[in-house]
Amino acid sequence: MVDGSAGGNGDKEGITRRRFALGMVIASLAGAFGSLFALLKVLAPEKKGGAYATTIQPGDGLVYAQGGNAGTPVVASSMKVGDAVLAYPSGKSSNPANLVQLIKLEEKAFEPPTDTLLTDQGFVAYSAICTHLGCTVSWVANQETPVVSYTECYCHNSIFNPAQGAKVMAGPAPIPLAQIGVKVMQDGTLAFTSNFNGPIGPQV
Amino acid sequence: MVFKWFDERLELKKFKEKFLSKTFPTHPLFLLGETALFSFITLVITGIFLGFLYEPSTKMVSLFGAMVPAAYASVVKIDLLPMGLIIRRIHHWSAMIMIAAVLAHLMRIYFTSAYRKPREINWLVGLSLWGTAMVAAFTGYLLPYSQFSVTATSIAYYMAKSVPWIGGWMSRLLFEGEFPSDGTVPRFFFMHVMLIPTVLIGLIGLHMFILVKQKHTEPHSNRDRREAQGGRRLIGIPIWPEQGVISLSFFLFLLFVVVLMATYIPLNPIETYGPPSPGTPVMRPDWYFLVVYGFLKLVPGNLSFTILGGKITPETIGGVIFPAFTFLVYALIPFLDRSKEPQHYMENPLHRPFMTSFGIGGGVFLCTLVVAGYIDVLHITPKAMTIYAILATAAAWSISYTLLRRYNGKRGNNVKA
Repeated sequence: MVDGSAGGNGDKEGITRRRFALGMVIASLAGAFGSLFALLKVLAPEKKGGAYATTIQPGDGLVYAQGGNAGTPVVASSMKVGDAVLAYPSGKSSNPANLVQLIKLEEKAFEPPTDTLLTDQGFVAYSAICTHLGCTVSWVANQETPVVSYTECYCHNSIFNPAQGAKVMAGPAPIPLAQIGVKVMQDGTLAFTSNFNGPIGPQV
Repeated sequence: MVFKWFDERLELKKFKEKFLSKTFPTHPLFLLGETALFSFITLVITGIFLGFLYEPSTKMVSLFGAMVPAAYASVVKIDLLPMGLIIRRIHHWSAMIMIAAVLAHLMRIYFTSAYRKPREINWLVGLSLWGTAMVAAFTGYLLPYSQFSVTATSIAYYMAKSVPWIGGWMSRLLFEGEFPSDGTVPRFFFMHVMLIPTVLIGLIGLHMFILVKQKHTEPHSNRDRREAQGGRRLIGIPIWPEQGVISLSFFLFLLFVVVLMATYIPLNPIETYGPPSPGTPVMRPDWYFLVVYGFLKLVPGNLSFTILGGKITPETIGGVIFPAFTFLVYALIPFLDRSKEPQHYMENPLHRPFMTSFGIGGGVFLCTLVVAGYIDVLHITPKAMTIYAILATAAAWSISYTLLRRYNGKRGNNVKA
């Protein structure tokens, strides 16, 4: 017999067999595809401590980070006022978070918020990782008055003043570079005396 | 005779009558889309060659006495092969040309109002193609793993991370963990070689299918001809042999230009850039990212706040919100257009004061952002550059709008937009 209700359950109330079956299919498909989301966590692994977890310990010696004498200890007497080098803690150069910029200025040039207890004989060290988007900062040396040389990141032109605690003078960087203590040792090399006094790297 | 052999097996005669004789309207501007397509084909062919030789790994290997990442060493070795350097340059130059052609094609569609009904869908497909092409170019840039590649990628990592709420997870998914990670290069290789080309080919197929279904827009001159029937009947030339031969010879001409550029103009000289090292050189991104680069230089560093637990930083504003907003504006254009009738002819941009001046103002704004990328060599402060950018955009928009309204007034044309 042909009648209008053969194709559907239009005027029936409640849960019909058809609706129940459709609900089961939708629920199982949703569950199957939903479980795929668990895979996403596998594809996005987390590293313990996050990207910029530094491993510098007080007492580590400073070694040159690049150039012909990379890996050898930094010699304090080779740096004049207005010089800066990139340095790593000895033996820990594989961790990019450990990169610091060692700068020599005059002792009387330091102003707050530079922590003068973390400086020694005009040497000061800051994290070399720009707090904007992670590039390594560079040194802009002033030949006439070396003591006013400054740190600049060439990626987006953030400027940090090393005599004022690497405060952001211009550009898009959100916070200053963190300072770390250094000291000139008996044999003319340098060593770290503290940890970073603030966060390092991009603040995202 | 060959045709007859295939025809007996595949019913090609029907295909020939139905499809190959379809009309194709002709206009020089219609070559822009073809340029993008043909440069994509060149990219695939040269990419296959490079893919046979490239090693997607960052483990250190010895190269002429120095220890460098294996990916870098494999590209240096490609450059030393007899055809290697020129194929790599053709690949990179075709990528530049493809993105330039996509942008020029987008501007052509915008200024001739070809995005109007019924072509809104294809406009959105085209925007997706543009975004995917930029991602393809970016993932390819990391693969040689030179000093420049790593710097560019670390910046993109932090931009991805600066997306509020999901940034941490998203950046770890795309870059395989926290940057720098040894898994980034293999993952980018997979995306650049398998995932993104699949998406691109699918989108290009969709784009062309919709184009054939809705028929290509015609030059305005066709509108006045008696045979034209508002898109239902096109005036043009058949696909085969006339249009086919034109396209084929254009492809060969494009190859000629690309090979000429690749021969005489070097780019991405990874041997000069060197393998990754602690310092960051003075570098700028490839030209299509200069707009975001310039914008990032202008965003002040103290613009940070938190919304609903998600952190918004200057990096978010410059690297995520600004590009997303630009894409959104582009996507909304067909839906903000007030015409209700379907359009099948190219509109004269001079007859649309508002849309054309908006396009000119937007273009000038993006150009000033490119200039903003160079404020360090031009010695302009970010604040001054922001003011120049706003002034230049406002001037371009208002001057072009005024001139166009007066032009339309003289023509006796009372159109408002």
